[in-house]
Amino acid sequence: MAFQILLNVLIAFTWMFLSVSFKPTTFIVGYILGLLMLFMLRKSLSTRFYMDRLWAVIKLGTLFIKELVLSNISVLKLILKPTMPIRPAIFAMPTVLEQDWEITLLSSLITLTPGTIVIDISDDNKTLYIHSIDFEDIDEAIESIRNTFEKAILEVSRS
Amino acid sequence: MKTNDLIIQTTTKVVFFIIFLFSIHIFFAGHYTPGGGFVGGLVMSSAIVLLMLAFDLKTVRDMLPFNYTVITAIGLLISLLTAAGSIYFNVPFFTHVYDYFNLPLLGETSIHTAMFFDTGVYLVVVGVTMNIIQMIGGDE
Repeated sequence: MAFQILLNVLIAFTWMFLSVSFKPTTFIVGYILGLLMLFMLRKSLSTRFYMDRLWAVIKLGTLFIKELVLSNISVLKLILKPTMPIRPAIFAMPTVLEQDWEITLLSSLITLTPGTIVIDISDDNKTLYIHSIDFEDIDEAIESIRNTFEKAILEVSRS
Repeated sequence: MKTNDLIIQTTTKVVFFIIFLFSIHIFFAGHYTPGGGFVGGLVMSSAIVLLMLAFDLKTVRDMLPFNYTVITAIGLLISLLTAAGSIYFNVPFFTHVYDYFNLPLLGETSIHTAMFFDTGVYLVVVGVTMNIIQMIGGDE
């Protein structure tokens, strides 16, 4: 990914030198041309085309905003009920993520969405211990996190 | 009881750069806007303290093998020499001057001797703070 961006910048500079004009606009035109070339050669590159990854990052961001709003509303509903029918619980969630930054990102996303908090990570970085405010079913809770955040993060980190 | 510090360590690796840059920015902003040597030095120390919290004292000592007592002394020396430099030109102690210089890469830059004095202050603050924290936190 970093190599492709570097290549793209290099192409943009080459374009600037070819057209002998050193203005930001020329750089942008060269950069777009470089993008086009990389897009044409995307099958022969050793890693993924980096715009796909950028798109995955944007998707992860929008997913996070969506989950944030929805879970905020659900926690608000819980709090405003006069009987407060909360069922707190702590459960373990095995994760397939391996890199440090992936685990940190997943934990932060889980913690930032109300209703769930990551309490601890096991020593081998394979299991997250999560506290949930309104707990129904362990498999369901794990599945919901798996299908949203973990999938999106895997999509970003796939090389 | 050893806990898993994965999250704080990963976050520290990201945040450290931001605090470091902010410290340098505040140091240079001190001439016209709030900031300066003292605040910049404290922010710099806080970045190193964050490293110490996330990792441990020994690791940070290996990363930054500075003798903070020497850094404090160097800072005091820089401040004193900047202040005493004016005596050489037959003007009162602590007289500051400034001028414009054409530096390579940076172009026309205004350099003020107060900045060198502030550099001394910065180094003294970093040195003293880190000395205190290492002495209290050290468990030899």
